[in-house]
Amino acid sequence: MKRTMPHLDPTEKQIVFKIVYFGPGMSGKTTNLLYIHKVLTDKYKGEMLVLDTEKERTLFFDFFPVSLGTVQGYSLKFHLYTIPGQIFYEASRKIILEGADGVVFVADSSVDRFDDNIQMFRLMIENLRSNGIDVSYFPVVLQYNKRDCSPRLEIGEIEKELELDSIPVTESIATEGKGVMRTLQVVSKEIIKRFQIS
Amino acid sequence: MQLPGRESAEDINDLLSNLVKRSEAVTALLISREGVCISKAGNVETLNSTALAALVAGMFAATREVANIVGEEQFSILLQQGEKRHIHISLIGQRNMMIVVFEDYKRIGRVRHEARSIGSDLVRILENREKSKKEDSGDISVPEFKEYALNLIDRIFVVGEEDDASSRSN
Repeated sequence: MKRTMPHLDPTEKQIVFKIVYFGPGMSGKTTNLLYIHKVLTDKYKGEMLVLDTEKERTLFFDFFPVSLGTVQGYSLKFHLYTIPGQIFYEASRKIILEGADGVVFVADSSVDRFDDNIQMFRLMIENLRSNGIDVSYFPVVLQYNKRDCSPRLEIGEIEKELELDSIPVTESIATEGKGVMRTLQVVSKEIIKRFQIS
Repeated sequence: MQLPGRESAEDINDLLSNLVKRSEAVTALLISREGVCISKAGNVETLNSTALAALVAGMFAATREVANIVGEEQFSILLQQGEKRHIHISLIGQRNMMIVVFEDYKRIGRVRHEARSIGSDLVRILENREKSKKEDSGDISVPEFKEYALNLIDRIFVVGEEDDASSRSN
């Protein structure tokens, strides 16, 4: 099992980290990305790609690049991706997780989506392991989205079911932008803290 | 004196530029399997190379799954034919891909030939680069890098008071 390594290019002087927004269908992954894209200043962001179906469900992935600036002569970038949440897009999810440096797991806080969240989280761990990733060291942030729904899951229910001890947790209402930037901040910091040149 | 890494970047760019010239292509890009653009040559102004790299990497990975389904390990070449422009994508080693965008479909043979002929040189340069990556990135001080990067994150991914979604509404 390996630890992740960003795209580090000493000749082109760039370091690119890949963040993937993972989670069950319609949990708000694309909404997270759309909000981030909306609030970031133009100089930091590239064009956003949204590959969805006529039912506004992500077909392959959504994507946009963020350039934070130069650190020690290296251009520091984050590439943000979402995965299609529907269970039958297994192959796409595995492909998009390849090379990921960190994941935001966007959980749907609706009580009746509890099982979907659990199933999708387990699939994510399987996908990461099949890509050879040491999941014990891999940055994952659990975002409880749709905190305005009722009845909703209590914070801790997902972690308890999955026996996750120290996973960073955030709360959000992505449709209103609440908690979205905080989540991005937490996951990008987790990634940077683990950065090493191997 | 040039650094080895810098030399290899120029070598890659020369190979791509020559390919563009000889095959009369619009542009040629070298990308990583993760969807990051490594080098580009030709008319690169009008294309969004970042998005193109991300999409092609995804497309190629999807095609690998298709190959597995039909009993192949992978397809080494992908060709997309359009009305005015066409794309030739070829695997470069195990970790990279080359994209050639061209306009005259009659030149497909030439594009394919040129792409094949520089493939092994690209693989060799990229392998050498990978081996010397650790030395070449010796100019990064990891602790300082982390400190600056964390500051940039705080400054750019701004969290305001309105960002709080933890208040209980029911």
